[in-house]
Amino acid sequence: MYLWRKLVIVVTISTLVLGGFAVLGMSQEKPYKGIVLHMACMADQYANYLKVLGQKFEQVTGAKVNVDILGYTELYQKITQDYATHTKQYDLATTDIVWTGQFAKKGWTVDLKPLILRDYEQIGVPDILPVMWSEGSWNGKQIAFPLAGYANSLIYRKDLFNNLQEKAAFKAKYGYELRPPRTMKELADIATFFTRPKQGLYGLVANGARGPAVAQDWMEYMRAFGGQIIDSNGKVVVDSPQCLAALKFFVEIFDKWAPPGAIGYWWDDRETAYRTGRAVMEFSWSIARAGYENPSISRVVGKTGMAMTPSAPSVEPQFGFGGWGIAINADISPKRQAAAWAFIKWVTSPAIQREWMLHDGAPTRLSTLLDPELNAKMPWLHTMLKLFIDGNGNYRPRVPEYSRIQDILGLRINQAITHELTPEEALSKAAAEIKAIYGQ
Amino acid sequence: MSALACTVCIDLPKGWTVISSVRDYFNTGKHSLYLFIIPIVLYLIFFFLYPVIYEIYISFFDYSLGSPKTFIGLQNYVLMAHDVQFLHSLVTTVIFVVSAVGTELLFGLGIALLLNYESRLMNVIRTVILIPTVFTPLVAGLVWKALYNPDLGVISYYLRVLGIPIGRGLTVERSTALFSVILVDVWEWTPLIVIIILAGLKSLPREPYEAGVIDGASARQLFRYVTLPLLRPTIIVALLIRSMDALKIFDIIWAITGGGPGTSTTVANLRIFQVGVQQLRIGYASALSNVLLVMSVLVGVFFIHILYSKKYGGVR
Repeated sequence: MYLWRKLVIVVTISTLVLGGFAVLGMSQEKPYKGIVLHMACMADQYANYLKVLGQKFEQVTGAKVNVDILGYTELYQKITQDYATHTKQYDLATTDIVWTGQFAKKGWTVDLKPLILRDYEQIGVPDILPVMWSEGSWNGKQIAFPLAGYANSLIYRKDLFNNLQEKAAFKAKYGYELRPPRTMKELADIATFFTRPKQGLYGLVANGARGPAVAQDWMEYMRAFGGQIIDSNGKVVVDSPQCLAALKFFVEIFDKWAPPGAIGYWWDDRETAYRTGRAVMEFSWSIARAGYENPSISRVVGKTGMAMTPSAPSVEPQFGFGGWGIAINADISPKRQAAAWAFIKWVTSPAIQREWMLHDGAPTRLSTLLDPELNAKMPWLHTMLKLFIDGNGNYRPRVPEYSRIQDILGLRINQAITHELTPEEALSKAAAEIKAIYGQ
Repeated sequence: MSALACTVCIDLPKGWTVISSVRDYFNTGKHSLYLFIIPIVLYLIFFFLYPVIYEIYISFFDYSLGSPKTFIGLQNYVLMAHDVQFLHSLVTTVIFVVSAVGTELLFGLGIALLLNYESRLMNVIRTVILIPTVFTPLVAGLVWKALYNPDLGVISYYLRVLGIPIGRGLTVERSTALFSVILVDVWEWTPLIVIIILAGLKSLPREPYEAGVIDGASARQLFRYVTLPLLRPTIIVALLIRSMDALKIFDIIWAITGGGPGTSTTVANLRIFQVGVQQLRIGYASALSNVLLVMSVLVGVFFIHILYSKKYGGVR
C-alpha cells in the first residue's frame, strides 16, 4: 500500500513537471501567439488557398494571417495609400513584379536581403529558380520575396490542332503543317484559319480593356516582336519599328480574330473566353493553366496545350516572366515584421508550396516543378520549367515610374485598338508622354 | 421671442461665473438664436469649409502622396490648361449631364403625368417605379455591365437577334459607349424626377384648372399654360438636384466602361480619380477637383437664380 501511494505521488509529480515543460515548450514553438497579421492579396486563382494557409499558420506559430482578396487595381490603390500615409492597415501584401522599382525607391517595404542571407539554409535559397528573384530585386535590395512565379505561354486548343480534318484543311490552305505557331506569321495564319464567327469560334484573344489589362497584354506582343519601352541606356523607345509592328499586330487581333467583346476584356474575361471554348489561342499566365482542367469552370477539359510563345523572325525567343512577390510593410513594428517574415518563410517552404500547388498555387521552387506526384497531376509543369529557365522578368520595365507608364499605355493602346488613333499616332503620343516623365 | 429664449435656458452650478455669463448671454433674447445655428456652423466648418480650403491650398503644391510638398504657385492650373485628357473629360461631362438630365426630365415629366391620378394600381406602380433609385450606383453599374456584355449579355443578344447593328458591343464601341452609360443613369434616376414632379403635381391648386375649363381651354392648353408654369419651381429644383449630382458621376461609368473605350466615357471625376487615387498626384488632382467644384457651384447658382428671378417668372 505504501509503495502504491509512493508510485501515485511520483507519477503525479512527474506528470505535472513534464506537462509544465510541454506547455513551456509549446509556448516556445508558438512565439507569435496572439499576433494577427493582415495581408492584402491579389484576387488570382491562388488567393483562396492562401487564405486557408493564413489560418493554418496559427497552428504552427500562434500568429494568424487574415487575407483580404482584392482586384488588381484595388490592391495597388489600397497598399500604395496605406504605405504612403503610414496607416499600417496591412502587414503583408502580394506585390506585382512590375511594382518593384516604385516600392524600392519609396522604401515602402522591408529590404529582405539581410534576412534571406541570415536564413539562407533554412529557406533553401538555391532551390528557388533564379528568375524568381526578379520579383522584388532592385538595386541590391530585395523588397519582396518570390511567392508565385508565372510563365507567359501560348495556350491553344490541342484537340483542334490534332484534328486530322483540321490539319489537312490547314495544310491545303497554307502549305505547312498545323502545329503550335513558332512565328508571329504562323500565329496570324492559325488565328485566321480558326476564326469562324458563325460557329462562335475565334482564333486568338487578348485583353482590350483600357488600363493595365490592355497595357500588359500588349507588352507580351511587344516582347515577341523584340520591342522595348526603355532601352538599356534608359532611352524611351516605345515608338520603335518593333513596337509599331507589335501594335499593328495587336490591333489586328481585335479587328479580325478576337470575340466581339474583347475590346472590353480584363484577364478574367479573356480566360472565360478560352475556357468556354470560344477562343482557340491566347497568350496567358501559367496560373490559369490548372483552371482549364476544372470541369466546374471549363468546357475545354483535357483539350488544352501549352507551348512557348511565338516570336518575330530575327528575335531571339525570350519568355515572359511575371508573378507575385510577398512584401512586408516597412512601417509595422519589429515584432510584427518578425511574425510576417516567419509567415513568408513558412508559406514559401517546399512542403507548403507543394500543398498550395494542389489548390491552384504557383511555384517558385525547382523541387516543386520536378515533384513526380505534381507532374503526374499537372503534366504542363515541365513546359513551365523550360519557360522559367529562359524567362525574362524585365521586359515590362520594373522602374519606379512603371505605374505612370502603364497608365499612358493603357490609354494609348486602347485608343489604337478602338481606332481612335492610328498605331503610329498612339505610340508617338505614348513616347512623348513617357519621355516627359524622364525629361527626355 | 421670449418663449423661444426660454427653451434654451441653461441651469449651471453657482460659482461658474464664466459659464454663468455665457448662460446669461444666451438667455437674453436674440442671442439665444446662435445656439441653434452653432451645430450646423461647426458641421460646415469641419466637414465642408476645411476640406475645401485645404483642397485649394494643396492645389498650389507639387504633392504626391508619400513625398514632400513643394510650393509651385499656379503651375498645376497652367498644366491643367494644357491637359488634353482633362479638357476632353470636361466636354464629356457636359455632354453626359445635358443628355442624361434632359432625358430624365422628359421621361420624368411624362411618367409623372401618367401616374397623376388615384387608384390602387397607381399606388403599386409609384412604389415599384422607385426600385432603380434604391440601387447603389456601383451595383447598378455592375448589373448593367453584365446585361451589356458583348458576348454573353442579354441586351447584346436581343439587339443582334433583332438585327440592330451594335458593332463589337454597345459598351466597347466609341460611338455607343457614352450613350450606354447615359441610359443606365436615366434608368436609375428618372424615378427620382418622377417622384419630385408628382409631389409638385399633387400640390397644385385646383382653381386655375377650373377657371381654364370654364374659359374653354383644351387639355393641351391647360398643360401648356397652367400645369407647366405652376410646376416650374418644382422642375427647376429637380434639375438643380440632378445636374449637380450628374456632374459628379463616377460609379456607374467606373463599373461599366472604366472610362473607355479610349477616352469616350472618361468624365471629369474619373480623370481626377486616375490622377489622384491611381497616380497619387494629390496636388494636381486637387487643382482638377477645384474646376469641378466651380462648375457645380455655377450650375447651382444658375438654377437658383432662375428659380428666384422675376425676369424668368420666378418666385421672388
